Amino acid sequence: MLTVLLVDDDPEFTDVACTIIEFLGHEVLTAGNLQEAREWLEKEQFDHILLDFMLPDGSGVHLFEELDQLAKRPRVTLITGHPSVRGIIKGLCGPNIDYLVKPIQREEIEAVLEGRKASKSTGGSNIKKHFGHLIGESAQMKELYKLIERVSRTSANVMLLGESGVGKEVVAESIHEASEVEGPYVATNCGAFSKELIGSELFGHEKGAFTGAVGRKSGVFEQAEGGTLFLDEITEMPIDMQPNLLRVLENKVVIRVGGTKTIPIACRVVSATNRTMEEIAESKVLREDIYFRLAVFPITIPPLRERKEDIPLLATYFIDELNKENDTRFEWDESQLDMLTAYDWPGNVRELRHFVHRAAIMSDPDKTELDLPKTIESPFAKKQSTTPALQAGRTIEDVEKELIYATLEKVNGNKTLAAEMLGISTKTLYNRLHAYGDLTKEE
Amino acid sequence: MNEKEFATVTAYVHDARKPLNRISMQAELLKMAMQGEIPADKALDALDKIIASTKDCSDQLTNMVDTLSSSITE
Repeated sequence: MLTVLLVDDDPEFTDVACTIIEFLGHEVLTAGNLQEAREWLEKEQFDHILLDFMLPDGSGVHLFEELDQLAKRPRVTLITGHPSVRGIIKGLCGPNIDYLVKPIQREEIEAVLEGRKASKSTGGSNIKKHFGHLIGESAQMKELYKLIERVSRTSANVMLLGESGVGKEVVAESIHEASEVEGPYVATNCGAFSKELIGSELFGHEKGAFTGAVGRKSGVFEQAEGGTLFLDEITEMPIDMQPNLLRVLENKVVIRVGGTKTIPIACRVVSATNRTMEEIAESKVLREDIYFRLAVFPITIPPLRERKEDIPLLATYFIDELNKENDTRFEWDESQLDMLTAYDWPGNVRELRHFVHRAAIMSDPDKTELDLPKTIESPFAKKQSTTPALQAGRTIEDVEKELIYATLEKVNGNKTLAAEMLGISTKTLYNRLHAYGDLTKEE
Repeated sequence: MNEKEFATVTAYVHDARKPLNRISMQAELLKMAMQGEIPADKALDALDKIIASTKDCSDQLTNMVDTLSSSITE
């Protein structure tokens, strides 16, 4: 419990604030001006002072000298009716003084009394999280929400397809959330277990089933009873374990490793892979019968570069979260958001989140500006300039040259194939390369 | 807008925050009453005070417009 002194000349405000502060479990005394505040300071010891900046007999800042002379200096939160004053207050009082800007909300009072800095954006971020998890208002995401909504009304197994970092697990959690099932959400990574251990992870084991099985363990299928089981990297599952999985999916029962009893299971299986459907079919990493059992309802999650309008939303959400976590007040500049939107993010949302995190670490925590590097580099992609590839002012010749080289790189220098992809004859391609000075006459 | 007019607007905006702050705090009280954290009869009182503050705020805005329009005609 804290002893709080509230100094403000508006009795209606102090009245309600007292009710709230007392409800929060603290003791509170009030003063309507500097004189009354001084009198209280002589009689009582306070842990925290909520001090109006503008009082009838002077500014609350005039009380600071007296506070410095006290045996125990209380924490101070200045209350101001003018947002621009906060900058002056910060300059005057240093970083250890909090401030509240009117109109004030209960959670801001709660935050300052708990010693957390009051969050600037009250009531949390305004960015809507669909199904409690997903951020994005692009047409592609709206389509995805529609699919989630539809599948959530059924018990069908879902297979999530999408590049690495698009947020497959977040979509799985959203499906679970939208399904409003009673059972839990259980996630496991099929690529993370050895051939010996995956059976035990999925189906559980009985005591003594193998060396080290000191007790009975239930598998993820049992754990997700009545809920959702998320099997990540399903295509990395050892192929010889897949018949066991198929049996479970078909019969809806599991037998623990080393056991004989069949245990009925009832959960939706959401599986995920970063391979495309074509790759799955060609590479034979997943048995066809399993694929049809798991992918009753396949959902492809779009890569971030195909929903660029969501980049500012995501970047703002990530920085808001970091601000809350670290008591900082970073804000994006319009031009910075444009720069982020121009980039292709081959590592998708995950890469964007890491980039924002890194920028927040590299920036001065006492400032609101974020320092960004001139280029965004990903170890998984070629260095990309943060200026858009197609920008007004570039010549057609210049863009054409870039396209030719990009195509050649894609086909490992095969000029016939490159020419075909570019829709030009091989002779034209050779002519262009000659013109760029990239080929000798013999070539 | 000249400097004097800007100062006038700033002063009025500052004063308008007082009733806004009252509304915000009374709304918090209302929430507490609805959640059963304080007696329910406080809710009605809070609503009356919110209505009064909206009127105060509106009066502040009217005064601001009057002051600005008289400065234009001067």
